[in-house]
Amino acid sequence: MKILKRSLVQAIGALRKNKLQTALTMTGMTIGVATVLTMIALGRGAQGAISDQIRSAGMNLIVVTAGNYQAPRERPPDDAIEPSAWHPPRQGWDRSLLRSAVLGDHEQGRLFRIHAEDDPMAVHDHPLASQRLGDSEAGLGAAATLTLSDAAEIRRIPAVQYVSSGVHMNAHIEGPHVADASAIPASPHGVADASGLPASPHGVADASGLPASPHGVRWFTRLHGDDVAQPLIRRAWVFPHGRYFNEREERDSEQVIVLGSVVSEKLFGSANPVGQTVKIWHQPFKVVGVIASGSWILQPEAGDDQFDAIYVPVTTVQRLLNLSKLNDITITTKSTGDVTQVVRSITNLLRQRHRISARMPDDFTVSSQARKALASGGLRPEVAAAVVGNVSGLEKVTLDQLGKTLDRASQTMTALLISIAAVSLLVGGIGIMNVMMLSVTERTREIGILRAVGATATDVLSQFLLEAMGMSLVGGLLGIALGLVTSLVVTQLVHWSIDLSPLAVFVSFAISAAVGIFFGYYPARQAAKALPIESLRFES
Amino acid sequence: MSVVISVRNVSKTYVMGEQSVHALQSVSLDIHRGEFVSVVGPSGSGKSTLMHILGCLDRPGSGTYLLEGQDVSRLSDDEISRVRNRKIGFVFQGFNLLSRTSALENVELPLLYDRETTLTAAERKRGAMEALHTVGLQGRERHHPNQLSGGQQQRVAIARALMTRPAILLADEPTGNLDSQTSIEVMELFQRLNRERNLTIVLITHEHDVAAYGSRIVVFKDGKITSDEVNAKRRVTVKGAV
Repeated sequence: MKILKRSLVQAIGALRKNKLQTALTMTGMTIGVATVLTMIALGRGAQGAISDQIRSAGMNLIVVTAGNYQAPRERPPDDAIEPSAWHPPRQGWDRSLLRSAVLGDHEQGRLFRIHAEDDPMAVHDHPLASQRLGDSEAGLGAAATLTLSDAAEIRRIPAVQYVSSGVHMNAHIEGPHVADASAIPASPHGVADASGLPASPHGVADASGLPASPHGVRWFTRLHGDDVAQPLIRRAWVFPHGRYFNEREERDSEQVIVLGSVVSEKLFGSANPVGQTVKIWHQPFKVVGVIASGSWILQPEAGDDQFDAIYVPVTTVQRLLNLSKLNDITITTKSTGDVTQVVRSITNLLRQRHRISARMPDDFTVSSQARKALASGGLRPEVAAAVVGNVSGLEKVTLDQLGKTLDRASQTMTALLISIAAVSLLVGGIGIMNVMMLSVTERTREIGILRAVGATATDVLSQFLLEAMGMSLVGGLLGIALGLVTSLVVTQLVHWSIDLSPLAVFVSFAISAAVGIFFGYYPARQAAKALPIESLRFES
Repeated sequence: MSVVISVRNVSKTYVMGEQSVHALQSVSLDIHRGEFVSVVGPSGSGKSTLMHILGCLDRPGSGTYLLEGQDVSRLSDDEISRVRNRKIGFVFQGFNLLSRTSALENVELPLLYDRETTLTAAERKRGAMEALHTVGLQGRERHHPNQLSGGQQQRVAIARALMTRPAILLADEPTGNLDSQTSIEVMELFQRLNRERNLTIVLITHEHDVAAYGSRIVVFKDGKITSDEVNAKRRVTVKGAV
């Protein structure tokens, strides 16, 4: 211990004597380690971003929509994409006749081959909020076929990862009364942008002392009645405030709401809306969280489906609107390779549950197309367009292959980055060796003195190793600091994603220690094995 | 008087290129506790080689060397390091102090490598202070070698040599870098330590007037002892005589 301490003191003293040399060597080490850390962070970040994009682009996403209003078309040549089963309708189907009677004969040609229950009008005719009608009265009738128990059954299919059932509609959301929320800076364009609404003269009441409005800021947006699994499916979501609603709230159909970041901005400006109360259909909802985009390539904009939107437990929507059916069920598979098989299983399951005989068409639509997902599922439009435009037979490429290809590309990049970093570490290490060799020669006499007063060869070895390690560790620590700063600056400036794991920091630190030992060992050994008398005789 | 050093038929040959230099040729020598032996001879006579072997800095080519009855020529490097640490104190011509290190820390140095006695930092410091006091350097503990005169540096080296209470003190041309007045002061110190502590001292020099401070003079020439006798005309310093 005392020898260690003395060695340290000596080591520091020796390093301080050759300040410039030490500084230059440590700079080499610092740059090496910083490069390693930054490269690992960038490489892993790129890998993570790519797989996140594949997932958020919906490569493993399947959407089951109620109703089947696809026009009959030729079966696509490739089996990877499962077309919804289509069967010619039975002649003399009474609903069909009724429908054609209502719509007129000229529609007959088009309707002729569509199942009566697939009427697109029926599917999308959701009850108006104020009407509070039940399914049948709202015209959903037998066409809205998906139920929560369908979703529960789908959840049991082996390769399925998450299932979320949804009801979607447009709704007006009303912020808290301005008088109640005087602390919240009202966004000036929050009212002006709500172009669908007559701008209320009382709409804006701010600190200037205008009379309090009976209404809060209103916004017309997309309402999603969703399942708790939704954030797991939409992996690119982050929560700047609060959280998503939880299972208990969904089970008890509580009136809780999660705001998209655009809605939150319109209603509350930059303030934290969590805990505030908003109104939909004149019903109070408690805000529990705000959703924003966690991906730099997907920026929230007014009018988009994810962030200019509000999320309420599907059970709450069903209770308030007296609904029992769903618009759609969203499913993710555990791996992109399972999509085709899971689509098949879902189709079979639902046909069986809905008691659809072999000759009848599906009363639902299962979609999982890569093209559709790429075009709408989270990639920037120009990126999606480029991919779709350049890959002519996109449908022929299995999702599995696409994912693997992208993954391999990013692995290659990581390997490249790490080899660059390794070279810079090697250079840093040789620098340390050089300084240590010089130091050993310069201090031969000192080594002789230490040996004369009783230092063993091991003592000398450990002191010089300690010096080399000290240099590389200090250099390494500075490198870690530099690497962290560089990585953060890089993300800030060019918006590359990084992944700064503690593991990467630890690895960089371990590498710098290892370089110190590896390149310090030879000079230290030279110092230790010299005969004491030769060291003492040495004239510098 | 017990025998501290017993050298029997020790030879040492250095090979330099194609020439072999017989630095020591079958030298035998006994030194007893409390002796102050001066080894004199011209340069190249083998006296420095003898000192290196006595100080366990080098191994004899042949023959045996018993230090306090222990055959040190057969010890491992670690064991020899321990012997140097515990039993031998060195004083060199060039002082050989660690620069960038205070006088006090230089004196403490041997204790740091002493694996047998576990002293606390405070105890080590107290011991070093005492040693510096003995050599008359109280108040200079914090000075670095380059802030001390040659004589003072040599006293620091002597204090360091005393730290582990060695069996012998080996001084290799201790006055070689000092002026005559300072040389006298250093020799005074040696005589005092020899007398007061019964410290065995082996002094190596090529100056006969320095050798005259010893109680016994061994003369070397061409790797052999040519004369070994008690110093009848011993020089005694004023203080040393008291």
